[in-house]
Amino acid sequence: MVTDEIYKKEYDVIIVGGGATGAGTARDCAMRGLSVLLVERNDYSTGATGRNHGLMHSGARYAVTDSESATECISENMILRRIARHCVEETDGLFITLPEDDLQYQRTFVDACQRAGIRADIIDPDEARRIEPSVNPELIGAVRIPDASIDPFRLTMANLLDARIHGAETLNYHEVEGVIVNQGRVEGVKLFSKLDGRHVEVRGHVVVNACGIWGQRIAQLAGVKLNLFPARGALLIFGHRVNKMVINRCRKPANADILVPDDTVCVIGTTSDRIPIETVDDMRVTREEVDVLLHEGVKLAPSLATTRVIRAYAGVRPLVASDDDPSGRSISRGIVCLDHAKRDGLEGFITITGGKMMTYRLMGEITTNAVCAKLGNNEPCRTAELPLPGSEPDAPKQGDLTKRYSFGERAAIGRHGSLAARIEKDNDIDNALVCECEGVTVGEIKFAVHQLHVHNLVNLRRRTRVGMGTCQGKLCSCRAASLLGELNHDVKRAQEDLAAFLDERWKGMRPVAWGDTLREAQLTAAIYEGLCGLDTAVNMEGKEDVQ
Amino acid sequence: MRMDTVIMGGGLSGLTCGIALAKRGQRVAIVASGQSTLLFNGGSMELLGSIDGKAVTAPLEAIATLPQNHPYRKIGDDRIAALADEAKQLLADAGINMEGNAAANHWRITPIGVAKPAWLTLSDHLRIDDLEKLPAKRLALMAIRGYLDHPNSMLAQGLRDLGFDVDVIEFTTDEISSLRRSPTEMRATSLAKRLISDHALQRIADQINELAGDADMALLPSVLGQNNEETVKTLQSMVKVPLRLVATLPPSVAGSRMQASLRHYFMMLGGTYLMGDTAVSGEMEGDKLLKVSTAKLADMPLRADNFVMATGSFISRGLKADYRRVYEPVLDLDVDADSDREQWTQFGVLDQQAYMSYGVATDERLRCLKNGKPVTNLHAIGSILSGHDAIKAGDGTGVSLLTALAVAKDILANK
Repeated sequence: MVTDEIYKKEYDVIIVGGGATGAGTARDCAMRGLSVLLVERNDYSTGATGRNHGLMHSGARYAVTDSESATECISENMILRRIARHCVEETDGLFITLPEDDLQYQRTFVDACQRAGIRADIIDPDEARRIEPSVNPELIGAVRIPDASIDPFRLTMANLLDARIHGAETLNYHEVEGVIVNQGRVEGVKLFSKLDGRHVEVRGHVVVNACGIWGQRIAQLAGVKLNLFPARGALLIFGHRVNKMVINRCRKPANADILVPDDTVCVIGTTSDRIPIETVDDMRVTREEVDVLLHEGVKLAPSLATTRVIRAYAGVRPLVASDDDPSGRSISRGIVCLDHAKRDGLEGFITITGGKMMTYRLMGEITTNAVCAKLGNNEPCRTAELPLPGSEPDAPKQGDLTKRYSFGERAAIGRHGSLAARIEKDNDIDNALVCECEGVTVGEIKFAVHQLHVHNLVNLRRRTRVGMGTCQGKLCSCRAASLLGELNHDVKRAQEDLAAFLDERWKGMRPVAWGDTLREAQLTAAIYEGLCGLDTAVNMEGKEDVQ
Repeated sequence: MRMDTVIMGGGLSGLTCGIALAKRGQRVAIVASGQSTLLFNGGSMELLGSIDGKAVTAPLEAIATLPQNHPYRKIGDDRIAALADEAKQLLADAGINMEGNAAANHWRITPIGVAKPAWLTLSDHLRIDDLEKLPAKRLALMAIRGYLDHPNSMLAQGLRDLGFDVDVIEFTTDEISSLRRSPTEMRATSLAKRLISDHALQRIADQINELAGDADMALLPSVLGQNNEETVKTLQSMVKVPLRLVATLPPSVAGSRMQASLRHYFMMLGGTYLMGDTAVSGEMEGDKLLKVSTAKLADMPLRADNFVMATGSFISRGLKADYRRVYEPVLDLDVDADSDREQWTQFGVLDQQAYMSYGVATDERLRCLKNGKPVTNLHAIGSILSGHDAIKAGDGTGVSLLTALAVAKDILANK
């Protein structure tokens, strides 16, 4: 449908926010037969969804301190293994005790896991060293738990795709600049399109605020007050996959105590700092954060000390203060769904916040239940049973990929599951590799542009992993920029797009710019500035794409 | 092994210095890793392309305005013109024919269609002397089907913005198509290996003659002539319209041709080229460097009267950085670099980055400093020198060539 028609329709529900929660809510609402519009001010999964470990928690981390979250996690963990198989890698995880930790805690931990229904097997340190050779060999205790690794970008896109299959409309680069309120009732939103600069109003019976930490602003626009507390966490990406399993510290949650293998890399994190709400858009990682992450990370896997750090990034988790405690001392990490009719006397407005990427589906279910109650819809939730597109029962399993498939095909099936069948691969040109690190072909880029809402190179990266490997987009970004310019019929913008993409890559490299990462940066500059003259062609001032 | 001079680093500066010394009868050894930043070269040399973001038209004049610690200023403004002529001649002697002069920059065309100031450009590459007087009106941009390292759409757009009429014409030949079967083989250097025989060239010529008949000039990605200029000349003779090459993304065929030509010339002059080896440590005696050990010749150190550091910047690992400091890894020479990591870089990727002008510290004769004092028989040349941002200023190849020649003269004069 063209955008003009999307604006004109009146919706049962308008969902604001294109992270995992918004996408999961859109899918659920659409599957229950509601007419749905989802709007996102930047690209999909640019907030906390795309800025975490990519860890599919077993819940073990919360077992001791927050049994409710732990129970939610293990239940969702088992559901996602079924419905989002193509986004999940079943790695399992270890909780290790180091000589400086208290081994007594292990018993407390295992008991708490068992109470929450999380399988937790104490194994011998020798066994731990055998099944996970990268683990700190000085460990004195280990527990095996069903952690896994999950790709949040892919997960969010799969939810959005399925929402669209069920009739939902989705728009990225549409910012909410006002909430339409009439006689105590929300009736729609005012939108600003960053794609063509237009201001429009769209009507809906219920508006769902699923913007994570940015939900405070949307609530303000509707005239209600939320007490959100931003908790910032920084993470580092290492240049190759050191560990096969998720490695956690068996102690009370602290800085940099989780190491997750993700695709071709691994990620250590996080720090945890409360920050002022005004600073949530400043994602610069500080020198202190980097130092803490390196110092603690090496304790989980000593080989990290000699592994190249390719990127640093930070995300902001929305914590919610309970309404009767504005000081923020009694803060929940759990899911919070607010019906503002009950809370503030404002009909047609629901906020979903708190929670975790991991529990996005449950958050969607809770929110959709609330929406359906308002609209008198009695359809049951089916998002826990029906697989996401890409994870249908007949989709090829990652482990089954034999030599029948090329590197590019295997990589594409890993990323898109059964949807990879839609990628053109019948001729040599479509099979040509654009990104050699991640195995992205010309055909996959065409698929992403035509079916996954790709407007620029940064979008393309989130859909395909182009430029996310060890070279961080050295050559592939220019190839992709040119292709994208042709496919979107906008070659004039290709140079600016290329510069914006390199800038986004650099933002993550800069905090860890030493060793081979500094070398790669100089190499990239030699190619794009020295050889190509991109710096003289593009004026970057005022043109920074939001990350 | 005892030599007159040992040069660490076998890229543009190391080879140029080695050639200049070998020509004068010196016994010279070059320790070369085998990698060279010439692989990122677009077929041109730059003396000085830009000051404060503005294109330089007359580089010889502009050099006098550079800061005192710039390598050109250490060589001496009055010597630059003569050294530039000498460099051009040395390249020609090595079989690398380039056009241009140091008094006035011309324009080269980059792989994404940007016009950048250049001093010398290979005779068979597209060069524009005056943007107001284009060398042709209508261009046929011959695009190799399925070859992604030549971003045709961006290049065509850039050329149109300069005032050319451009037709993008896709073509292929059997030799090219056979490469496409492997998705990683469509790279410039792989193409160049296939496109050597007269038969293969004739097939390309047939395509150009058939498809580019009306154009004033045909452009082809620079994927020909890895070994010498003859391949391109042969193709040019087969094609009815004037044919010029345009730089591609790396690996650069033109750059590897330059690298190979210089290496052959150096060896023809009797030089010793230790390929695939790197210097790892050295032994000092007083203010002199006595000998250098390499990775492969661990128990046979290289002794010489003079040594030259030409190991390059971070790209070539001539400089290294860990999260505490920037250092020179072979001899731990003094470096000009900020000690605080926060100062190394800036927030925007296209901003001027401080680390780009880091390098080993040298005295006025380009002798390296260690603990604040010159090592009297050790010079530094090329990208390892501090005091210039080769990428922003567009002076990297010029600094490599001119400091190499200046240091060769200094070594010969002080024998």
